[in-house]
Amino acid sequence: MTTPPQNVQAALASLRERWGGAAPRWGGEVEGALAVAPRPSPAFDPEGLPGGPGALPASDRAIPTGFHSVDAILGLGGLPRSAMTAIQGDGTSGKTTLALQAVAGAQAAGGIVAYLDLARSLDPVEAAARGVQLDWLVVLMPDSLDEALAMAAMLLQDRTVDLLLLDLQFWTPGGAGTSNSNLAERLNRLAALARRAGVQVLVLEPPSLPPALAGVLIQVAALRLELNWRAWIRLGRDVVGQRTEVRVTRDRFGPPGRAAELGILYAEGGLRDACLIRRDLLRESTPGTGRLTAAWGSGVAPLGGVAPPGGYRPNLPTSAARLAPLHPPAITPVPDDATSPSSLASPSPAPGPRQGLRSIRGRADHSWRQAVDGRPGPGREPPCARAGRPDPDAARGGP
Amino acid sequence: MPLGAAHRLAPEAVFLDPDPPAGAAALKAALDRLAGFSPGVAAETDAMTPGFGRVEVQLDGLDRLWGPEPLLVRRVGEALAGILPGPPLAGIGGTRFAAAVAAVLAGKVAVPPLVAAGGAAGGAAGGVACGVASGAVALHAIEPSGDAAFLAPLPAVMLSRDPEVRARLDRFGLRVIGQVAELPRSALVARFGPEGEWLHARARGEETEPFRPRHAPERFAMALPIDPPVSNVEGLRFVLHRLAAAFGDQLDARGAATARARLTLELDRSFSTGDVPPSMTIDQLLPEPTSEGLAIERLLIARLEMDPPRASVARVELELGDVAPAAGTQLSLFTPQTGRTGRLGWQLARLGLRFGEDRVGWTELEDTEAALAETRWTWRRGSSFGAGAGASTTGRATAPDRARSGGRTNAALHRGPAS
Amino acid sequence: MTRLLREHPSIDVELGPDGEPIAFRWNGRQERIEVCNRWRVEESWWSRPIARDYFKVAGASWLALLYLDRVDLTWHLERLYD
Repeated sequence: MTTPPQNVQAALASLRERWGGAAPRWGGEVEGALAVAPRPSPAFDPEGLPGGPGALPASDRAIPTGFHSVDAILGLGGLPRSAMTAIQGDGTSGKTTLALQAVAGAQAAGGIVAYLDLARSLDPVEAAARGVQLDWLVVLMPDSLDEALAMAAMLLQDRTVDLLLLDLQFWTPGGAGTSNSNLAERLNRLAALARRAGVQVLVLEPPSLPPALAGVLIQVAALRLELNWRAWIRLGRDVVGQRTEVRVTRDRFGPPGRAAELGILYAEGGLRDACLIRRDLLRESTPGTGRLTAAWGSGVAPLGGVAPPGGYRPNLPTSAARLAPLHPPAITPVPDDATSPSSLASPSPAPGPRQGLRSIRGRADHSWRQAVDGRPGPGREPPCARAGRPDPDAARGGP
Repeated sequence: MPLGAAHRLAPEAVFLDPDPPAGAAALKAALDRLAGFSPGVAAETDAMTPGFGRVEVQLDGLDRLWGPEPLLVRRVGEALAGILPGPPLAGIGGTRFAAAVAAVLAGKVAVPPLVAAGGAAGGAAGGVACGVASGAVALHAIEPSGDAAFLAPLPAVMLSRDPEVRARLDRFGLRVIGQVAELPRSALVARFGPEGEWLHARARGEETEPFRPRHAPERFAMALPIDPPVSNVEGLRFVLHRLAAAFGDQLDARGAATARARLTLELDRSFSTGDVPPSMTIDQLLPEPTSEGLAIERLLIARLEMDPPRASVARVELELGDVAPAAGTQLSLFTPQTGRTGRLGWQLARLGLRFGEDRVGWTELEDTEAALAETRWTWRRGSSFGAGAGASTTGRATAPDRARSGGRTNAALHRGPAS
Repeated sequence: MTRLLREHPSIDVELGPDGEPIAFRWNGRQERIEVCNRWRVEESWWSRPIARDYFKVAGASWLALLYLDRVDLTWHLERLYD
């Protein structure tokens, strides 16, 4: 058995890394099972679209958030019951989405939820679209953190709700009222009360929380998640979603430091929502970096070796530049961190949807053909991958 | 009273021979006309019984179609103009009894009713009744949830026609209804037996007899003309919304649900080309029995969008079929949360007391497709949390909130023939 | 998922040369934005007219929905995406 040439070796290695057993192997020539490999589902996980809570059932220790990638990095596979969880994030980070999805999950498991709407920004229509049952969502509107904590204490003492959501989003300290240290102390006691009562508490923590309070949360929260915006997801010029990184900064039930990427889409209830399912229409824009990111999926790192369907989209600066209409260029670019067979492929025009798998196969075949011995190979290329490229068989006068 | 005695009292009065068949026919005609206003119409049609001449109309949700109550009543008066000898007395209240009393009081401010010798005390009590020959429809409307307050100063003898009961009330010194209402229920039961419970409820403005509409199965159908005729589905949505919402409230008030909807559109063919039929009918089976007007509306609009009318629509008629008691209310037993609403309700009441009623509650969706976000949902105060999805707000001829949770199924505080 | 700011707070908006917002200031923070989408809503012209130009804008940290109230020509923040 001959050794494959170096570049083919490297190509096979990276394919193996990505596709595992489904990757082509070397057995004198490249033979592959990619054609029969099932399409990996994460790339098409419709995680971000509003809908019911995730399929994972609640256990008696945790309620899943409904986002598979997030549940996977949590020690209990969900948000712990009978404990406090703090979710931190600035700006459009997805924490409200995550929180409401968790509320929906708690209700689906038979719970009644109390929402302390200090931020006065609950949108019941959106909540319902996320799967929240408004009939079992008690909304309380405290005027101050002081009042919010008092209301929460009353609810916890009577154990009449299963989940308490404390929304501190726009809260600013100061003004007349209880001092921060007093509030911190009460927050501490609230956490203890929640543990004793067996009630789950979720706190939406803004970054501007004063140190005294933030400190308490760091101590008493059994789980602390930090959400950071990573990129916008665009449909044409419009921003229709975002990619967010979820990082576990503290987890009493598992190792901290784990992170996952979450894709969130904003469905606005019109005809256009049908486009959100078409991943090929969506683009990401990550200002400032040169990284290529494909049409996104949760928990998927930037894909090496596969160009995003439709081609390369220029990165957009965050300043007020107007957007140019999108024209996919004719050339599929080379990602800088991949030693994939694409470096061997001749340029192809922007392919249609679902080209990922075919592109690999096409290119692998092609690269083998070109690099090994120039003989036409047994592999068959789908016509669309070949479209526009010079037909190697034709050049050689046929198989 | 005997004819002679009547003559002596009012020598100038005119006495008519009773004509039961004509009376019954007139009343039937009136009922048919009223059916165009509300699907819930009931009356005693036997001209020889004491209750003859009283008609009850269920008004839940009808304000969306016919306007606020005074306007609605005026329209009813206009509709009945040619059928009844004179404009009716109208009373509106939360319970059948209160409405009947209100109608009597409406009559008190006008000329006393005609007395048909040998016949019933026609027009003496009831929702809409034959009677007074003077100008506009006399109306007395009780404030929502104000039944108890309205009844309080009225004579206690109005609570029952039974002379025994009346005598007893007098013996116990209960002169006005308010006194009866104030007594604890147990005291009344001790004095009057099971009757006492019934009297107590009546005095407090609670519904004691379920409304039994005229036809069973009844036809839930209403129509609205559209002038000028609309040619697009969006315009139809507006009309359909009103019809469906009114029906929804009616169904809710009855604890009923419908499984089938039929939409008939009368087309205006003046400007249409080609072969256009005079009307278009859509028969739609509903995925499950429902009382939600909005759900019915959406389904029908979706049908219309798929198959729009070929000419402008001049009249929309919506008919709901297979109306049956909502078995869906029993499903709430299968929601895990349902069993806990009692305690939670108390808790919310306490929170409301401490922090303010308007700071504790829950939200409900209204029209989620309204253009302005603020109109898509409403806020509900905490007092009746857990009454369940689709619980209607103020139903006019239904029991007040307090009795709703058990009231409808528990309405068996019957007492013989209704008065 | 959006937060609906129920009082639709007034904001200061800086307009670009073509009349579209390029920055806005709210709650002590200033944000440079680009407009991703816009639409107009007009309602109830027969009673209490409501005319608003909505702008969906993306900034460095927020995706938000602003509108210009064409009746009193004031700018408001309606939603923040989160």
